[in-house]
Amino acid sequence: MARSKAIRAPTTASLSSNLRIPSSTPSLVKTFGKLTRQALLDLVFQWLEDGNVQHFPPYLQANEGSKRGEEGDGDGLRPYPAERTINGVRNAYQELQFRKGGKREVIDRILEGDWRHGITLRQLAMVDLRYMDDHPSSLRWTALELARIDNSSSNESFACIPRVHASTFLSSLQQQISPLVKAHYHLARSTSLPLTVLRVFVTTSPYQNAPRQSAESLTDSSRTIYVAFPDSCPFFYTSMASPQTASKASSALPNSLVATDVRSLQRLVRDAIPKALSLPHQRYTVKPTSLIAKSLEALLALRGPGRSNHANGAFSIFADAALEGSPLDPRPSNTVSPEEHNRQSASEATLENRRASKRSLADSKEPGTSKKRTLALQSRFGTSGTLSSVPLDRLDVRLLDALPGDAKPTEHAQQPTVSLAFAGTDVIGGIRKLAELGVIDAERMPCWMTGEEGVSVLAVREGRGVSKAGR
Amino acid sequence: MSTPSLNTEEETESLDSEISTIRAELQTLHHRRRILTNSLLTSRPLQRLAKSQSQSQSQSQSPSQTTATAPRSSQKWTDLSPLLHTSALHADLNHYRIAFSTTAFPFTDPSPSPVPSEANKSLIGLRIDICARDGSYVKPYYILLRKGRRGGEDGVLYVHRHTVPPVVDVGALERVYLPRAGGDAARGEEGEGGEQLKPWKRSPTKKQNLKGFLREVRRQLVVWHVRCDGVRYLRERLGIVRRGEGQDADADEENGVWERDVLAEEPNQESKIARNDLGIVALGATALEAVYVRVEWVDGRVGRFKISNAGLVERAVVMGDTGRDKLMEAVMTGGNGRLETLLDRWRKHASELRGSAAAAAAAAPVSVGDGIGIYCSVTNQANKCP
Repeated sequence: MARSKAIRAPTTASLSSNLRIPSSTPSLVKTFGKLTRQALLDLVFQWLEDGNVQHFPPYLQANEGSKRGEEGDGDGLRPYPAERTINGVRNAYQELQFRKGGKREVIDRILEGDWRHGITLRQLAMVDLRYMDDHPSSLRWTALELARIDNSSSNESFACIPRVHASTFLSSLQQQISPLVKAHYHLARSTSLPLTVLRVFVTTSPYQNAPRQSAESLTDSSRTIYVAFPDSCPFFYTSMASPQTASKASSALPNSLVATDVRSLQRLVRDAIPKALSLPHQRYTVKPTSLIAKSLEALLALRGPGRSNHANGAFSIFADAALEGSPLDPRPSNTVSPEEHNRQSASEATLENRRASKRSLADSKEPGTSKKRTLALQSRFGTSGTLSSVPLDRLDVRLLDALPGDAKPTEHAQQPTVSLAFAGTDVIGGIRKLAELGVIDAERMPCWMTGEEGVSVLAVREGRGVSKAGR
Repeated sequence: MSTPSLNTEEETESLDSEISTIRAELQTLHHRRRILTNSLLTSRPLQRLAKSQSQSQSQSQSPSQTTATAPRSSQKWTDLSPLLHTSALHADLNHYRIAFSTTAFPFTDPSPSPVPSEANKSLIGLRIDICARDGSYVKPYYILLRKGRRGGEDGVLYVHRHTVPPVVDVGALERVYLPRAGGDAARGEEGEGGEQLKPWKRSPTKKQNLKGFLREVRRQLVVWHVRCDGVRYLRERLGIVRRGEGQDADADEENGVWERDVLAEEPNQESKIARNDLGIVALGATALEAVYVRVEWVDGRVGRFKISNAGLVERAVVMGDTGRDKLMEAVMTGGNGRLETLLDRWRKHASELRGSAAAAAAAAPVSVGDGIGIYCSVTNQANKCP
């Protein structure tokens, strides 16, 4: 690369957003190829906006040609001649916008044409976040809770929600991490969900631009960590391995080993987050919440700013306020369907209407469900699975009960534990469906099968979830 | 070949849309009819009539039926009476909910327990209704309490499920108002290892205070809603332009940036403050809890103020290019300090500034009003500081 002559020294600065990855890197094509054509074009227009264009300067013929004349000669051979002005670049992509075609030509135009001098780390981060916006279930998220360390000053009412000022938070996070790893930070707002997403890309080298550090390692997705901060609630989600497995891995490793593997880099970042959020006299720590899910919507419903954090399963009727309407409603509440209660507050009728009518049609079509079973279903699952869907993709349950025939519960070594793992696109919805079909007895099944606990990992004793501490 | 299929497609589409609009209209009409029937059923004259009828009926049934019309009318009333009865009950419940705001109801946990006992399954439900600014009620908040039988103690209450958003920390309030001796460790929600290791550090058993707990939860919820409504009111009075609505939005593109309002109904709708005489380009709560509000002026000044639980502007900081704008801060916290009158204070301040500028232009040596204004603001500041 062109900057190899510069003096290199290990620093604690973060990786610059302008650090360019050579466009010839093959993995860039793969990274860009994840996006749709329209998403790519949207991103390019965003880069070329007036306020942004100095951060993502495209390769232009006029200024580059005067500096390096010998490179200008090669331009004729390139498939995409460099434009002279930024407006020219914009027009080229506008043309692509109106023309139909594959996304490959857009990627080629970006990598070999207008950004032939390299893709910056920031551009790469934007590509990744755009992919996440388009595919909200592409990652596996672990929900963690922020808790105050000192309980003495709990009389302050809104103490548990730390206020985050983005740049202050980032600089203190950088202070925490920088002695250990070098990282690139990108903070962005999700377009579809009430989330602020932090993308941290970690490298092991302390050098700003190490030649040995190949361009491939800068696009290595396993070195990328996402942290999502939902609005106004004491939780955050990380895209890392669950804390249980991470702590196991760390205890297995002796401390003398240099922490260079990806997992320990991720652990460093995770441990730094509560410290970065802490203020003087207001220190936070992270508590696991035994919830791991792919869908960000599910995380927002179960550990989010809304009403449904502590009311799921049978109690979702309360979270959705499907039990009764406002006190000004003259209709007796048992004559009003839960959908209507919900809609009335949402105040948008048409879309919900259609969905509701479709659902009622589908319900009436099924002949197998008896009235009794439907009632049992409604009482056990509430509105979960119909009004609000919280798609958990995995549910791990450990049953701690002694077997019914076991007369000696004192022999703990002999006692078998049964572990169940449910996996699928929507586990709780699936269980509801099974109960609808009569495979599962809705009245007798334990409450964790209805998703009432709102967790994805739990231990069960006597039909009720117990905490992970093993008591 | 292609044109007829296109035509039929268009036709079916238009028919579909027509059908859906008719369906929607039907739905609204049905809805209206039901509201009207139920209001009729709960109306006082009808209820009174029903009561008198049932009384007269019971009186008239003891003697032999003399007239031919009596059985027919009584037949009618018995048909109607269950409907009347349920709507009367519902009306009563609504009256309680409106009048007392916090009401209790029984609820049975549907999940089976290995030890079948009715006491374990029944929960105490509490419902908190809060009236919003426009007179409608927000979705009721629920708290479901369970009577614990842990650690050999009977009648210990703890929160089983609730729908209170994390803006109000129910867990912390529960720890304060509904302490459980020994129950903490068994539930294991906040029972840390330290508490087990140092049992002497455990505070002596306090009495559970359900009333205090509820009062505090309700107070915090109401205060939160009042703050949210206050910020929404300010934004509405300034005028909100929503992105994608109205053509004139493109015209004043330079006036402010599109921002997401945290308190809006649709969280992803971007909006901004309409052009106004105060020169405010952005005003919005920084987070859902709506304690801090951020203000931005057209001249680059940025302010932030805190709303107290009483609805006052408690603290304010305004930063300009040349440092803090103490005068503006004093205007914001001064006067009666109410959040709702903030715009009026700003207007008054602006007009005063304009007046003093005019006075200065008219070559008045010292503007008296201005001096008094500064003096007042300084005293206000002094009062607020401690």
